[in-house]
Formats: sequence, structure tokens, C-alpha cells
Amino acid sequence: MATATAPIHATAHYYHEEPTGVMSWLTTVDHKRIGVLYLYTSLFFFLVGGLEALIIREQLNGPNGTLVSAETYNQLFTMHGTTMIFLGIMPLSAAFFNFLIPLQIGARDVAFPRLNAFSYWVFLLGGIFMNVSWLFAAAPDAGWFGYAPLTTRTYSPGLNIDFWAIGLQILGISSLAAAFNFLTTIINMRAPGMNLMRMPMFTWMSFVVQFLLVLAFPVITIALVFLQFDRLFGTNFYSMAAGADPLLWQHLFWVFGHPEVYILILPAFGLVSEILPTFSRKPLFGYPVMVYSGIVIGFLGFAVWAHHMFAVGMGPIPDTVFALTTMLIAIPTGVKIFNWIATMHGGAVRFTTAMLFGIGLVGLFTIGGISGIMHSSPPADLQQTDTYFIVAHFHYVLFGGSMMGIFGGIYFYFPKMFGRMMNETLGKVHFWLMFIGMNLTFFPMHFAGMYGMPRRIYRYDAGQGFEVFNMMSTWGSRMLAVGMLVFIYNFFRSKMAGPVAGNDPWGAPTLEWSIPSPPPDYNFAQLPTVTSRYPLWDLKAPQLTREVPHTREGDKTTHVEFAGADAGDAKLSSTDRTRQPVAASTGTSARTAARQDWEENRLPSAKALGIPMPLSTIKPLIVAIGIIIMFTGMLLRSHEIAQIQAAGGEGSTMPSVIVILIGAFTLVGSLYWWLLTPLEEHH
Amino acid sequence: MLRPRRLAMAALTAMLALTLAACSQDQPNTTFDPHSDFGGAIDSLWDKLLFWGTLVFVLVEAALIFVVVRYRHREGRPEPKHVHGNTTLEILWTVLPAVILVLIAVPTVKTIFRFQAAAPANALQVNVTGHQWWWEFEYPQYGFRTANELYLPVGRTVNFHLRTQDVLHSFWIPQLGGKRDLITNRTNYLWFTPDSTLGSDVWNGFCAEYCGASHANMKFRAFTIPAAEFERWAAHQKSPAVFGATVPAAGAPGAAPATTPAAGTRTAATPPGAPATATPAAGTAQTPAPATAPTPGAIAALPVSTGQTDASLGFTIPRADYADPKTPIPEGLTFQSGLTGDPERGRQLYFGAGTCVVCHAIAGTQAASPIGPNLTHVGSRTTIAAGLYPNDFEHLARWIKNAPAMKPGIIMPVFGKGLRDPKTNAPGRLDDAQIADIVAYLLALK
Repeated sequence: MATATAPIHATAHYYHEEPTGVMSWLTTVDHKRIGVLYLYTSLFFFLVGGLEALIIREQLNGPNGTLVSAETYNQLFTMHGTTMIFLGIMPLSAAFFNFLIPLQIGARDVAFPRLNAFSYWVFLLGGIFMNVSWLFAAAPDAGWFGYAPLTTRTYSPGLNIDFWAIGLQILGISSLAAAFNFLTTIINMRAPGMNLMRMPMFTWMSFVVQFLLVLAFPVITIALVFLQFDRLFGTNFYSMAAGADPLLWQHLFWVFGHPEVYILILPAFGLVSEILPTFSRKPLFGYPVMVYSGIVIGFLGFAVWAHHMFAVGMGPIPDTVFALTTMLIAIPTGVKIFNWIATMHGGAVRFTTAMLFGIGLVGLFTIGGISGIMHSSPPADLQQTDTYFIVAHFHYVLFGGSMMGIFGGIYFYFPKMFGRMMNETLGKVHFWLMFIGMNLTFFPMHFAGMYGMPRRIYRYDAGQGFEVFNMMSTWGSRMLAVGMLVFIYNFFRSKMAGPVAGNDPWGAPTLEWSIPSPPPDYNFAQLPTVTSRYPLWDLKAPQLTREVPHTREGDKTTHVEFAGADAGDAKLSSTDRTRQPVAASTGTSARTAARQDWEENRLPSAKALGIPMPLSTIKPLIVAIGIIIMFTGMLLRSHEIAQIQAAGGEGSTMPSVIVILIGAFTLVGSLYWWLLTPLEEHH
Repeated sequence: MLRPRRLAMAALTAMLALTLAACSQDQPNTTFDPHSDFGGAIDSLWDKLLFWGTLVFVLVEAALIFVVVRYRHREGRPEPKHVHGNTTLEILWTVLPAVILVLIAVPTVKTIFRFQAAAPANALQVNVTGHQWWWEFEYPQYGFRTANELYLPVGRTVNFHLRTQDVLHSFWIPQLGGKRDLITNRTNYLWFTPDSTLGSDVWNGFCAEYCGASHANMKFRAFTIPAAEFERWAAHQKSPAVFGATVPAAGAPGAAPATTPAAGTRTAATPPGAPATATPAAGTAQTPAPATAPTPGAIAALPVSTGQTDASLGFTIPRADYADPKTPIPEGLTFQSGLTGDPERGRQLYFGAGTCVVCHAIAGTQAASPIGPNLTHVGSRTTIAAGLYPNDFEHLARWIKNAPAMKPGIIMPVFGKGLRDPKTNAPGRLDDAQIADIVAYLLALK
């Protein structure tokens, strides 16, 4: 139980040349700062998506709700899904990719630091682009899945769909750039000795996710390009009058959409695979099997897409094939659950907030997995698909799975990111509000669905048997809202005044905990040589890892080099001292220890150590702005076309062409400028 | 730490209690009490899925809770043993789920092939066409169309040919089986046999695929009735609307239907084969209309349809509380009270320039447009606006006056004088008295 609440009033930026000010954030190429930017931005969008969900729940609280109109409701549920997936969970995962991957593999930054900044700026501007639609009362309204032909100009003449389709294209650019960046980083920038089977599980799962991104996003890109061509240039990919087949969109969308589910869940799996061993004081059970099952999930994730389409009448053979592949994917997923439980078995389980969220994921994702099997059976799915049963299912996967894992990850890595501990008491209040609120919101939806309530309806009639479940869900959502308020308060309070964390507050086994919190811009003063899956435990608790493969020899030869000026024995004892979380100990001694730790850890700058670091630059931001201008021109063009159609052929599309050209010049010019400038200072 | 845990237990208990309470409630749209072979097969699959799912759930959560409680950290306990894996266990928990999955997969595949086979040849054929946001039902073997209210004989297989006029929809009657999407430029099929043990019942139908603004308002009713009654219903539907003819005079006991030329086809126990001779292509519009001029004199104050059993029709319309729409009329939709309307004036207005006739067909008249729901026997329907409102004077009048306010997004324009259409901004031009006339006419179309 956390009792050390008296904050240590000292700046967390205890290395000298940490730049401050807005400009430093606009120009940063430091993967940690970009990770923090991702974190703030995606948490903000997560709150926006949550607010949309709250309005949805209030509307459905009773029968024939009148809080919002049908049109507004349809925009709300579309934007809730789109926001949570593309602007919430994905970039929350990206925050961890950015912050953690270089630290976990012992690198100084990602492979392409400026591309990394570019990814973030495109994501931010894309998220703003999509949400600006609210100001025009034209938020996307065809569902996050945007089925044709509803999205074609015939049925959706407004700008709603353009905001959605163009917004997703923008976000796709960000995701793809980031994915290539992380693939390159993980493949090429691992520290000496960090072979693939020594990689921390979070990096492993992120590695699989980057492949999924690279392979899945081009498919949605193509689907969206077809849609935009139809809307802007009158092509006939989805034109029903010209004989198009709506299933083209559905197949393309779900070939992307199902791997997307694993894009959303695997990073959370990775985070939990870091949290559970740490707080059980045991190595991850079945590490190789966890790696293989992650890979198998990634592969099979591309072979199950049509299970979203059992009701479209594909015929018995496709239904059978996709039913079987879908059932198959339950096996590696189940293996992960069993291995997590086995990890905790025989351990010393400490109920930190991060651990509670980790355990929460295991328990709640299991429910989502089981209901997933229930609709892997196509005939059974015909009663379940497009009902609230499905809503319940994927919220158990994405809230009970992804978000539980991500919250766990935030509590776990907050000390590393900000150098301070989050308050555990508030954290536990947050957890229980989330856990209970989540179940109260989503469990009744199983019943509502099986009792006949379709999805995506802005109201339901009285006397249909839906009332009690919807009322429960609404109460649950209010509880979640309170939980989020507790979290936000805890987050900012802890960031300003939480106890100083030290290098390794949790006694964790991986490289990122060997360096100061927050790490200096260069991460590792001296790149570590890795001989083990659990280098810190080799040093500090060798009995935990003696029998883990890849450490048998490492036990004798381990010499992880710690970052900072005082690497070596002195540093080691300092980390040893902070193995027990500062927050978990009581009295003044802990605070004194932390203060000493902080004093000792004043770090020299990269320059002082002679480490060349990439230069800050504004150019990635300008390139991103150029791209946004171009896409805004496309949006304008769609508006002009609608105007021309309404006016019976009168009008001009010149303004949009001009805007597109301005954007193109900005893009090409700043890209050229970017490519001409060196990455590092010449020494 | 104890307090939140106790809170959690209390909340979970409360949740369980609420859930149990909910289970015991009468569920009008439940999928757990199916009334067709298809629904029954799905339900038996579901039972298997639920059994295995529950078993896995209980085992996994029990193991999780056990491990977390049993191995929680206590001061002074030695460091955990460094177990890092166990190949036997890994194989075990790979194979065991696979075995369970086989037990699920086999009946799944059997059911897939059983219900995606071609429907029996003697099945009742119904062409379902989805529109934004209503349902068109055509009975090709009988040669008529209707909208939003589906009649099915019990014990006879019905084969639905599912098409859509615009965007995707999904046809779903939870109590009668699974759903099937309506895909543009394609025809889908769905068949099932309503249990022959059913009496006269009504079931709620829904659109289950998001289809735009009024997706939530795209409902329908399915009535399962005995075969003989179904034949009478079909014969009645096939008979052109002879305005006023079937309606008992005001005040007369409803039992004695006024005999009319058209009534003969209705009261005779038509053999099932006879209507089937109509070619499937023969839509209502093509049905030869008897040139019977409407006989306005017969109708004085018309009984407003309350949807009760109308013996004059020769069949019973099953009713149930859950099938009676309770959607409130949106605020601000007024209608002058005290108007009863004159059906003959209403008929003339119906066929006036730029009014009902532009979109709505009535068999036996020159109204043949396929744009809106077929209104041939609209007076004998229980609901309007795709199951959204009850079919009575109050609702129908407001509907005609300002339909877009009652059902968002629809293409039916505003007709009420002094109002403007939200899409075209065109002014409405019928006053309340005129609308009352039209309502009187429509409700007379039994």
C-alpha cells in the first residue's frame, strides 16, 4: 500500500540539457519525447471517444431516448469506434512502441528519428482533421467499417464520409511510416547480444504488430482510394448502379480489419507479459511458446477475416473454412492465457496497480475470447452478429484486453517515463472502478444481444426486454467515467509531485530499468552487451533466471553495462537499493534514499559524453502539414462536387486544385529541405 | 485494499442478481426460445457453445483466482522457484482446447450445410426487398406485394429471396432464426419452417445491418398463422383494394361483413393450389384490376383500425403487447382534433397531382408506383412506417403531415400546410382536413 505521498520537490529533468518550451516539443526527434507526445495525444482522443460513448449510453439509458437525434447518434457511434481504434488504442500502443522499444533493445533511438517525428505529426494532424468534422456538423456517420454502398455519394452526399475516408488515409500514412521505422529499429538496432530469443516480450509482440501494420494497412489504403476515386472522380468501384459488388469493400475492409484487431491487442499482451513476471518475481512461463503463439496469431489473423461476414451469404464452403480458421486462432490465444497463469503460479504476486490491470486483462480477455468462439460458429453467429452480443464481445477484447493492458502499462512505465511514481491508492481506486464499471457496462450487453437487440440503433422501443440491460450498461459507463477522472487526477498529480522513482522501482528484469528515470536523451551512456533475456535479474537476483535458456553461460559472463557516468558497482548498489519500489516503502528513509538517488543520478549531457544524437528539426512537422493541406484540398474538392451536383452542373473546382497544389509544394519542398540537412552534428 | 475488494464483491453480486432478474423476464425477442427448425438448430449449437464456454470460463477464472490468491506476496517468503516453462504442459493446453474446438466444429459444419442447402421445392416463396427504411414483401406464387407485415403459414417451409433496392440491410426475426444480409446487386436466400405447433403469433423483425439515419426505425412484423387462415389472408391480399367494400357500416356489429363482388374470393376456402397459378412475375401493378368504381356512399364514419381481429377479413391478426409500437410522437407535431375525414375526398386527394399516388401503389387502381410501400390493404395493417407507429388515425395523420419529423432521413416529403420539407425546402400544401380525408381513405383500405 502506498503511503509515501509526501512529494520530493525536485525537477524530474535531472539531466542538464533537456530542452524545454513549445519549440522543443515541435522539433523533437527523441523517441522518448515523441512517445510522451503520443501518450498525451492518444489519451486526449481516448477521452473524446469516451465522451462520445457516454452520450451514446445516456441516449440508450431508456427506451425511445431523445437526447440526440438519429443523425447525431450515428455520427457518435461512428466516431466512437473510429476514435477508439485509430486515435485511442493504436497510438496508445504507439506511445509504448516509441518509448520502450529502443530502451528494451538497448538502442539510443529508433532507426529513423525524424521519420518518427513525422509519424507523430501526421497522426496528430489526422486526428484533428477527423474531429474537425464535428465543427461542420458533418462527422463521419457510416460506421467505423463504412460499408459500401452507404458510403458512396448516392447515399452519403455530405462531407461526412470524406472526413472519414481522408482522415483514415492520413492516419494510415502515419501508421505505415511508424511500422517501417520500428521494423528497421528492431531488426537492426538491437544491442550486442540481444538476439531475437532474448528480446523482451513487449518488443516481440510489437515486432509482430509492425508486420501486421505493414501488411494490413495497404489493403485499407486501397479500399479507401477506391472509395475516394468513386466520390471525387466518378469511378465505379462501389457504384451499385454500374453493377459493383458491395462485397469488394467488405473483403478489403476485413482483410485489413481483422489483423487490425491483433494490432490493437498484441501490444497489450506484450505489456502484460512484462508486468506479470515482474510482479510475480518469476520469469515468463514458456517464453518461446509465447513468442511462437504471437507469431501464429499474426499469421492466422490474416486468414479469418470473413468471419465478420457470415451473414452475407458467402455459401457453405467459405463459411466452413473461415469458421475453422477462426476456431484455430483460439488455440494460440488460449496458450497465452495459460502461460500467463503459469507465470504467476508459484510466484510472489504483488498487487500493484499495474499488476491488477495485468491480472484484469487475463481474466477479462478470457471472456472476450470465449464469446469469440461462440460466434466462430457461423449458424450461431447468425443470431449474434450485428447485435449487442458482438458489442459485448469486442469490448471485452478491446477494453478488457487492450485497455486493461495499456492502463497496466501506463502504471508500470510511468516511473520510467516521468521519473516519478503514480499514486497506488488512487491507482487501485481507478482499477476497481474500471474493472467493475467495465463488467457492468459490457456484460449485460451479452443478454441484450441474445434477447434480440440489434447494434447501431439510436433508440429502441419500450417493452422489448432491452430496458434493464441498457440501464445497467449506462450505470456502468458512468462508473467508467468516474474511474477515468480518478486516473487523470492521479496522472497529473503524480507527474508533478509523485515520489521520485529511481532506476528500477519495481525490480524488473529488462534493460530499460537499468538506466535512469526518465532516461537521458542518449538512453545508454555505453551500449549494453546482453547475454540474457533478463539481464537485470541476472545481476540482482540470479536465482530467478539461472535455468532460463540463453542465460546458462550468461550467468557467469553477464556484464550489463549501466548507463550514466557512474556505471559500475556504485551504480549497481544504487539500483539494488531501489529495487523495492520507493512508493511501497514507508517513512523518511525512502524519501531520503530517493533524494540521494536523484542527487547521484545527475547525468552528463550527450555532448559531454561525446555521443552524437540526431538534431532537433521542425521539418517533419512541415512535411506533415503539407500532407494535411493536400488532403484538405481533396476534402474541398468533394464539397465542390456536391455543390456542382446540387447546382445542376454549375461551379468550379479551381479552389481545391489550388489548395492541393499548395500542399504538394509544401510537402515536396520541405521534404527536399529535410533530406538535405544532416541528421547529426558534424564532429 | 480490502474495501475496494469488498465493493467489487458487492457490485458483482448485485450484477448477478440483476442479471438473474433479467433472465426471468419475459423476453419477446429472445433467441433462446426459437420457433422454427432453423432457430432450433442454432439454439442447440448455442447450447453446446455455452456449455463449453462456461466450462472453460470457470476453469480459467478459477485457476487465475487460485494462483493470484495462493501465491500472493507475503513478507518472509523465500524467492519463487525459477520455473520458466514445461513442454508437457504446453502440449496439453494446446491439445485440450483443440479437442473442445473439434466438438464444436463438427455440429457447426453440419448445421452450415443443412441450412445453406437449397430450400425444399414446395416451399412458400417470399421476395424480400429492403429499402431505406422499410421492407417490401412479394409473394410471387400468389402474385401480390405488401409492406412491413409478413404473414407466414405455420408448418410450411418459407424461402426468402433477399434483395435490396439501395444500401445493405439484414433480415432478422430473432424468434424464427438467424439473420441474412440483403446485398446490393445480389440475391441471398434464407429458409426455415415455422413450427407447426405454433398457433397465431406475431414476432418482431429487425433490420440488423446499419443502413443509414433510420436504421433503428426499420422494423417489421412477422405473423405466423394456421395454413388455412394464411390462404384466406393471401387471397385477400391478392384481391385488389376495393375501397370501402369490405368495411362494415358504422355501428353495425362487426361480425357481418358487407357482401361485395370482391368478397367472394375472400370467404371461399381457396385451395392452396389455386393462387399459386399466378405467375411469379405478376406484381400487384400488373394484376388486372376490376374496373369497380369505388362506392363512396357506403362509408360513413369509418371505424378506425385498432388492429383487432377483423372477422370480416377471414383471418385473425395476431396481436401482442410487444408488437404494438410505443414510439412516442415527436414533440410539436400537432393535428387538429375532431376531424374524421371523408374517404372519398381522401381518395381524390390520393390521386391528385404530386401526392400519394406518385410513390405508393394500390392494386386495382392506377396507382402503381414502386417507390414507397404498397398500400393496397394498408387499412388491415397493424403498424405504419416500418413497424414504428401503430396504424391509427392519430399517427397516420401526423405521418402524412410531417413524416420526416417522425422518421429521420426518409424521402417521404412533408405534406402539412405551413411546413417545409427538410431536404427540398418545398412547402407542404395539405391542410389538416385534407389529410384527415386521406387518412380516412387509407384506413378504409382493409
